[in-house]
This record gives sequence, structure tokens and C-alpha cells, in this order.
Amino acid sequence: MSTLKLHNFNKHFYGVKAVNGLSLEFESGKITGLVGPNGSGKSTLINLITGVIPKDSGTIFIADGFKTDKIRAQDMYDYKITRTFQNVRVFEQMSVLDNLMVVLTHRNALGALFERKKNLYEDRTIAILEKLDISEKKHELAVNLSYGQRKLLEIGRAIAMDSDIILFDEPYAGLFKEMIKKVSEIIKELREAGKTVILVEHNMEIIRDLCDTVVVLDAGELLAHGKPETVLKQRDVVDAYLGE
Amino acid sequence: MNSIIPQLIVNSIIAGSIYSLVALGFNLIFGTTKFFNINHGVVSTIAGYTVFSLAKNHGMDIWLAIIIAVIFTGFVGYLSEKFVFLKMREKRASGMVMLVASLGLFTALQAIIAIIFTSQFQTISTNFGESKVYNIFGGIITETQLIILAAAILITAVLGLSMKYTKFGKAVKAISDDVEVAKIVGINANKIIAKVFFIGSMIAGVAGIAIGFDTGIEPTMGMNLLLKGVIASIIGGVGNVYGGVLGAFFLGFVENFGIWKISGEWKDAIAFGVLILFLIFKPGGIMGKKG
Repeated sequence: MSTLKLHNFNKHFYGVKAVNGLSLEFESGKITGLVGPNGSGKSTLINLITGVIPKDSGTIFIADGFKTDKIRAQDMYDYKITRTFQNVRVFEQMSVLDNLMVVLTHRNALGALFERKKNLYEDRTIAILEKLDISEKKHELAVNLSYGQRKLLEIGRAIAMDSDIILFDEPYAGLFKEMIKKVSEIIKELREAGKTVILVEHNMEIIRDLCDTVVVLDAGELLAHGKPETVLKQRDVVDAYLGE
Repeated sequence: MNSIIPQLIVNSIIAGSIYSLVALGFNLIFGTTKFFNINHGVVSTIAGYTVFSLAKNHGMDIWLAIIIAVIFTGFVGYLSEKFVFLKMREKRASGMVMLVASLGLFTALQAIIAIIFTSQFQTISTNFGESKVYNIFGGIITETQLIILAAAILITAVLGLSMKYTKFGKAVKAISDDVEVAKIVGINANKIIAKVFFIGSMIAGVAGIAIGFDTGIEPTMGMNLLLKGVIASIIGGVGNVYGGVLGAFFLGFVENFGIWKISGEWKDAIAFGVLILFLIFKPGGIMGKKG
């Protein structure tokens, strides 16, 4: 079943077409790899989907027939979409614990004043931190974590959001081998839980290992779309990007 | 002990209390929105004149007038955000454009105050809190000044605890760190920022009223008050709630002890001298951001 559908997405920067008429579908319970050479429009597309940069045009369809042209960052929570960033973005001046607590706690007026059900949320937060192996850092400011730990914290925040659609923008960049294994396990668990996972990644080994589908972009346009074992062998894909 | 020293300490603490109130509101807004809100100064002036108008001109109970003035100034801040600054942020205006807009708003509101109340120096009340005078180790402190000190301590404590323990405080911190990510994770940044303007402006209003009772009010008082609050914020660490308070008391002491042996006209020169020293040698302030 398709949970996220993009129709005719366009974005240009000073006359250069970064995303050119892209229409794509992403299925729930599947991991879709988004690959392509540098500048092919992968991160731009993720930024358009999540409203981080305004699109020129495009419509988004989300499960249950919901359709909108209005894509703003502040709507992502309601659309049940979340993401991580290529250059890790956590709340640096907050503790590791608060980085997750702030997305878990109540959002109504009373809940905004005092953290009701604090213990419940704290237990959930610690469970996520333990899964990521950073629970011993829970009281440290995020800014004091290593790059890899901050990357894990950002992934933890995405898990805490419990969104239906999760976009990972190069989640493995800068991670050690052990951390890479952990992140792959988490992404597989998200698939098992029926989430729609979109993964921007340059490491083809990871793409082959994890992804059910691959979308290849080149110069902001769709070059190929299909199963990794087929798509990654296509001559035009190899020419445009892989050359491995 | 030199007999003047206890009085200098008292004066420093009172100055620090007033500056800390301005710095608290300024830091709260700057920390959240990252823009230099000059309009914050005139909000203090509005509070002083609201009390003046309600209590002195219309005979309202002084405490009721203070409460109405503080809430009213909160709304002035809220409306300035809702109808000016939010619109500009939505159009991705730069920090410089926002600064110029806030200067424009400041100037317009200051001019309106002068038109309504004239440019003359006014005193708010002659019989509020001035009946009692206390002697603390040789330093004289009035009841009004004690109330100002208590208000500064109470507001700092309540704001500090709210920032640390409430969901609102954490949302403010998240927005302060990265407003875009805060929006993506479901924090209603615009609503929180509007509340920040309301709360920050109410605190600035308390500072304006405090000045009004301690010395008096005039339409141009906002700029001087704002500058002292900003200096305190920079000394303490811009955007840091406690840093601003620390900077405010530091400034209060430096100013008052600085003019111990020289003319009081040196006060502003000393304050800005300290500011320049901090900007050169410790630009992040005493409690600047970690990392």
C-alpha cells in the first residue's frame, strides 16, 4: 500500500532545476533507497517533502486519501512525517534526555504547562536511549556528545516521534562499524512495524542489504525505480552514478 | 567600614534588580527568536505610563493599576509579534530588517506616548511604598525598593523554574536551538514565540513600573532601560536567562561603585566601557553557550 505519493514536484534555484517534475510513490512496510550522484536532488527532495525549503509546485498524498499542496515544516507532525538531517541537527543546548522528552510530552495547554505522565515518557525515552547505547549520556548536553552519538540521538528522536513516514538523510555518515550495525537494526525494525522508510545513502552495500526498492535520481529527474538487484545493474544508472 | 559603602551596595542591588528585569525579558525573546528587539524598551515605558494614567490620573487602586498595566504590556508585546514580527519572519526577513522594523515600532510608540502624556518627566505616586524606610547596615532602602528587589527575585525564580521544568520551557529551548527542527518535531513555534513575547513584555513592564516608582517616567526612558538590559545580557551571556540576571547585578555594582569617587554622569560611560571590554575579551559573556 502506498502511504506517501508525490505528484509533479518541482524546485529550481536561480534557474537551475534541482528537482524536475518528480512523481514518486513510497510504500508502507518498505525501505526505499534514494540514491544518485552529488547534486542529483536527493536532499533537496527530502527538504521539499518536509517543508524545510518551499517547493515551486507539487502535491503530496498521504495515506487515507489525504492530499495537499500546503507543505510546511510545522505540518509534519500532523502528517505523521519525520526526518533526520544530512548534517546532524539535535537540540544542542538541551540534555540528551530532554531532546527526546520534548517530542514525547503533551501538546495541549495544560500539558504544556506541566509535564503530565512524566514517568511514562521518561521510561520510553530511556528505552530508546538504551537501544541506541547512549543512555549513560542522558544528562549530558547534546553539544558535548561525539558526532556519531549526536547522529544516534537524532535517529532516537525520529523513533520517539512514532511517525508513519520516516526520512533518513545519510544516517550512516560519520558512524563507526558498531553504530552502523545498530542503525541498520533500527531501520529494519521500523520496516517490521509497517513504517514507510526513505533512506538517502551513498553506500551501495547498505542499499542492497536494507532496501526493498531503489529510486535513482540524476539532475533532479527520475533515472530508475525498482528492486535494488535490478536497478543497480542498469547501464544508465552505472554510467550516471555508480561506477563501483 | 566607609559609611558610603552600604548605600552603594543597596543602590547597586536595586539597579541590578531593575536591569535584570529588562534583561530577563530581552534574553527570553532574543534567545527564542534570535532577533534584537529594540521595541522591548518602549514596552517598559508603556507599563509605566499605564500605571501613571490609571492610578494617578483616574484614581484606580495602585495594585490593580499595576496588574492591568503588566497584562496590557504583555498584550502590546504579543500584538507586535503577531502583526509585525511574525509576518516578517514568514517572509524570511533578515535580522537587520527585523531590527529596523522594531526600531520603527519603538519610535512610533514612543512618539505616541509623548503626544498623549507630553515629554515632561512625571512621578507615578507620592504615597505608594514610600512611607517606610529601612536601614540595613547603614544603607537606606525604601519599601518601594524592597518590593522591586522581591519582584526581581520572584520573577527570576519563576521564569527559571518554568524554563527548566515545564514543557513550555523545553519547547522554548528547542526553538532557541533550531526553530526549523522544532517545527518538524511538532512544536508549534509560532504559538510559543507569541507566548514568549507576551511573557517577556510583561516582565519588561514590571521593570518600567519599577523605574516609575523608584525615580519617575518620561517617554524616552525606554531606550536607556533597554540599553542597560542589553549590556547586562551581553555581560551575562545573550540568550541565557540566568546570565542576564548575573550580568544585571554585575552592571549595577560596577556602575555604582564606579562613581564612588567621581561624578554620577560617568555612570553610562562606565557601563559602556565594561560592555566594550566584554565584547573584546569575553564576547560570549560570563555564562555564554557551551560547546
